[in-house]
Amino acid sequence: MHEAIGKRELIVLDGLGECLRGTYHPVADSSSELPASRGGRDRLGVLFVNSLSLPRAASGDSAVHWADSIAELGYPAFRIDLPGLGDSAGEASTDLLDLVNAGAFASVASVAVRQLVDRFGLTGMVIFGHCAGSVSALYASVASPECKGLILLDTYFHLPQASRPRVRQELSDWARRSRIGRFLSNGYDRARNLRLRLRGRALPGNANTQLLACWKQVATAGLPILLLQAPGIKAQGSKPRVGEFDYIDHVMKLAGRKNRVSVEFVESADHSFANREGRLAVQSHIAAWLVSHFPLTDFSLSAKGTASFHANEGQSGSRKSQMAPADGCCALEGR
Amino acid sequence: MQNKVESNSQLQERAGYFPVSGAHLYTVLHEVIDPVARVLLVGPFASERHNSYLPWVRWARDLAGKNIEVLRYDYRGIGESTGAFEQMTFEDWSQDVRLLSNWFQSRAPHVPLVLHGLGLGAVLAGRAFDEGVGEGLLLWSPPANANQALRATLMRWVGLEQIFKFGDDRRSASDYIRELEQGSPLEVDGYLWSVKLWHDSFHFTLPAALANEEVAAQAYKKRPVRIVKLTRDAAPLTKGGIVGFDDLKDFSWLFSPNREWIVEVASQSSKEIAHA
Repeated sequence: MHEAIGKRELIVLDGLGECLRGTYHPVADSSSELPASRGGRDRLGVLFVNSLSLPRAASGDSAVHWADSIAELGYPAFRIDLPGLGDSAGEASTDLLDLVNAGAFASVASVAVRQLVDRFGLTGMVIFGHCAGSVSALYASVASPECKGLILLDTYFHLPQASRPRVRQELSDWARRSRIGRFLSNGYDRARNLRLRLRGRALPGNANTQLLACWKQVATAGLPILLLQAPGIKAQGSKPRVGEFDYIDHVMKLAGRKNRVSVEFVESADHSFANREGRLAVQSHIAAWLVSHFPLTDFSLSAKGTASFHANEGQSGSRKSQMAPADGCCALEGR
Repeated sequence: MQNKVESNSQLQERAGYFPVSGAHLYTVLHEVIDPVARVLLVGPFASERHNSYLPWVRWARDLAGKNIEVLRYDYRGIGESTGAFEQMTFEDWSQDVRLLSNWFQSRAPHVPLVLHGLGLGAVLAGRAFDEGVGEGLLLWSPPANANQALRATLMRWVGLEQIFKFGDDRRSASDYIRELEQGSPLEVDGYLWSVKLWHDSFHFTLPAALANEEVAAQAYKKRPVRIVKLTRDAAPLTKGGIVGFDDLKDFSWLFSPNREWIVEVASQSSKEIAHA
């Protein structure tokens, strides 16, 4: 058994007393095809955290592919399992979603960032999170002085329920299947829209105000943030479903004028971003964003890295939008 | 940053990469000092790995906590293992089981080895056992063939796909199966299923001697077999369940009797070895 192979190395971190396990994707040495011995000192790293209870490879092993592609661009990438998740030690409980939404992983994620920065001689870390993972990433960015940027996929700013009542689930499924159901569903959306208009700009009752405060803190401070959104349930392109609060519009207003937030709508993706088209579109957006915000001064992209980056540019299937979708419902209900 | 020894001083989890032809398998050895048995866990297929990961790890830890050494791994081309999934065949994944069994058994040949498979992993473990690997076999929800396992995975994925689709945009599992049978590869939850994989799956069957425990008892004599059909309570180890909720449940009701069975098999096997 080996702890390191060509482009991957297994790592162990101390997560506030728990043994955290992860995978390190070193930067390839552009001249030799071999990984650099310390994988790119004096440069920025990218850290992936779990999406809810999924292991660090993520749906369809998408995180593995993204980490590989980021390392090929010249940025060392790390994927870790937070305590109680994946291969890491600790116990996760059934109120995991509530814990994530309250920022319970912020401290341990920031401790992991610090260790990785020290151990690999990095200048800082971009934290990457998808869905519930993006909530953990956002909280961690406030707790971590080493965090230099955020990549957030399908972030939700409300407090969803881990499990929907069975009757409601079945009702939703029926509405999707039948014409009458769809008609009633549209009527329900219009009623919600009326209520939304009457409420004006007030936040919905289940808004995660603690998370929104974190967002405001880091976004107004000018932290580079890449927000990627997949089409939501009954969403109208990049706009949210009729009757749903437009959280992206809201957080962009909260971010202030000096923000460095980029919002991209990835039309070809589903919520998991695991489908190949969506995965490649995300890869392309990340590459463009990293190169633009954190240009490498001492690293020429390897031929392979450059080729894959350009190859993906034309097929991203995405479009830029400052008023990107707010999938308030989030596909948590489908997972 | 040292590898921390976990709460039970006997428990040490060692992750590593095991070289196979053209790839490396990601393995985690739940190492035990002087184990009573060894168990090779052959997990579920592709996206099912992610859904059932937490209970699977907890099962490995449960066994290790009772002095049973465990080796779990990711299939070639899936999860943390390397290799291109779309190029993999059932024969590749069978070879993984054989290679890991050999390595695991070579650590201490006198300690009984039990194979444990779930879903497609049950077919892989069952076929290895039928070839003479291991002193015991534990199967959770074994399908009759790999195609049944693929269909179960497909059904779960279609269910999720349909959440985002309305009316005529919704495609059924039969629509996707028709595509595969007409010769088009299909991407399921990020994994590209080749037409060959689909066709081969019909012929990659559980050995006939593993149809049920009675037949297995006659066929394998002193090598015990236990077959457990998991119910909905065991989701997401079986179909259904919500990730982030059901995978965090208490599974001790499932783990305890199966662990006891493994201990009993090990005890019986050790006696026979000593007697011999």
